[in-house]
Amino acid sequence: MTKFAAGSRVRAQVADPDGHTRLPRYARGHTGEVVEVRAAWQLPDEAVRGVFRAEPVYAVRFNAAELWGSGSHSVILDLWESYLEEAP
Amino acid sequence: MSGEHGELPIAARVRRLEERLIAAGLATDEELDEILERVFTSASPVNGARMVARSWKDPDYRDRLLADGNAAAAELGFGAGTRGYLLKAVENTPDVHNMIVCTLCSCYPTALLGPSPSWYKSFAYRSRAVREPRAVLAEFGLELPDSTEIRVWDANSETRYLVLPLRAEGADEMDESELASLVTRNGLIGTAIR
Amino acid sequence: MGGQTGFGPVPVEDDGQFFHADWEARVYAIVRVLQRRGVINAAFDDLRDAIERIPPAEYLTMSYYERWLRAAEMLLAERKLLADD
Repeated sequence: MTKFAAGSRVRAQVADPDGHTRLPRYARGHTGEVVEVRAAWQLPDEAVRGVFRAEPVYAVRFNAAELWGSGSHSVILDLWESYLEEAP
Repeated sequence: MSGEHGELPIAARVRRLEERLIAAGLATDEELDEILERVFTSASPVNGARMVARSWKDPDYRDRLLADGNAAAAELGFGAGTRGYLLKAVENTPDVHNMIVCTLCSCYPTALLGPSPSWYKSFAYRSRAVREPRAVLAEFGLELPDSTEIRVWDANSETRYLVLPLRAEGADEMDESELASLVTRNGLIGTAIR
Repeated sequence: MGGQTGFGPVPVEDDGQFFHADWEARVYAIVRVLQRRGVINAAFDDLRDAIERIPPAEYLTMSYYERWLRAAEMLLAERKLLADD
């Protein structure tokens, strides 16, 4: 059972980690919707330190207006579970 | 490794690195040549175009492609090249246009599209596709109606995307190889209609 | 890089070539070989990490395969996998 499911509203973490991460800066702190649960995949932030721990990955859709303050398109990102929290 | 490498012309620097790798037993000339040989002979946008053409001809294949891209690639003999990532096909419709970018580096399904074009790796494309896709598409000469919803897929993770373009008009009268010849690399990335 | 401004129009020309110099092809092959040998992990995490650790001022002046080259050199040096000159 994964923490989130399709339809979950999630917020990307705000903190900017020290090392490698696959959470792009432009999505940090923004709220989107899970559109698909992907397979679990090793967390790159740890993999670069030689620690291989699989974690669920979610395809999360963000509206342009949420990311940029304007625009009608959407942007979909694959985000690891620890990058996300339940939307407030 | 010392700073002197930065002063060598780049081709000499690469040759030097190759020699050191071979000396350290981390590569052989044959291996390097074989990898390139394989890229030039097997990684090609013709492969992605064939998958698209099959989808246009065979609705069952289209369904399988959308459900499981890796299995659909394997059906046409591209299984080996698409191992190691999740292949996801995203389908354009009259109302929805998909485009692919990798803002973090420039990830991309090389086996199906060939090594990526320079523009895909450019700072301009990587920075702007997620922010102003309409303006970017216009630079490619692609003007979409205002009513078309644009979805930008950032390949930041282990998913690699393939755009399934709108079915060509007259597809019923054409065979698969004719249809495949209509599909371009840009079409498979979403910066052309097909 | 996503969302940054100021990079101008997209250079949309495409000659269909995979590489634009022989050294670019060699860098591609080197990185693939290192991946095959497990020096670079299969998912390229450490190559991406190394690319991101290139100082930004340099990163922006480098071409794509120059960044690959620099990242491969960094990883090999950090892991002391090559004999010193």
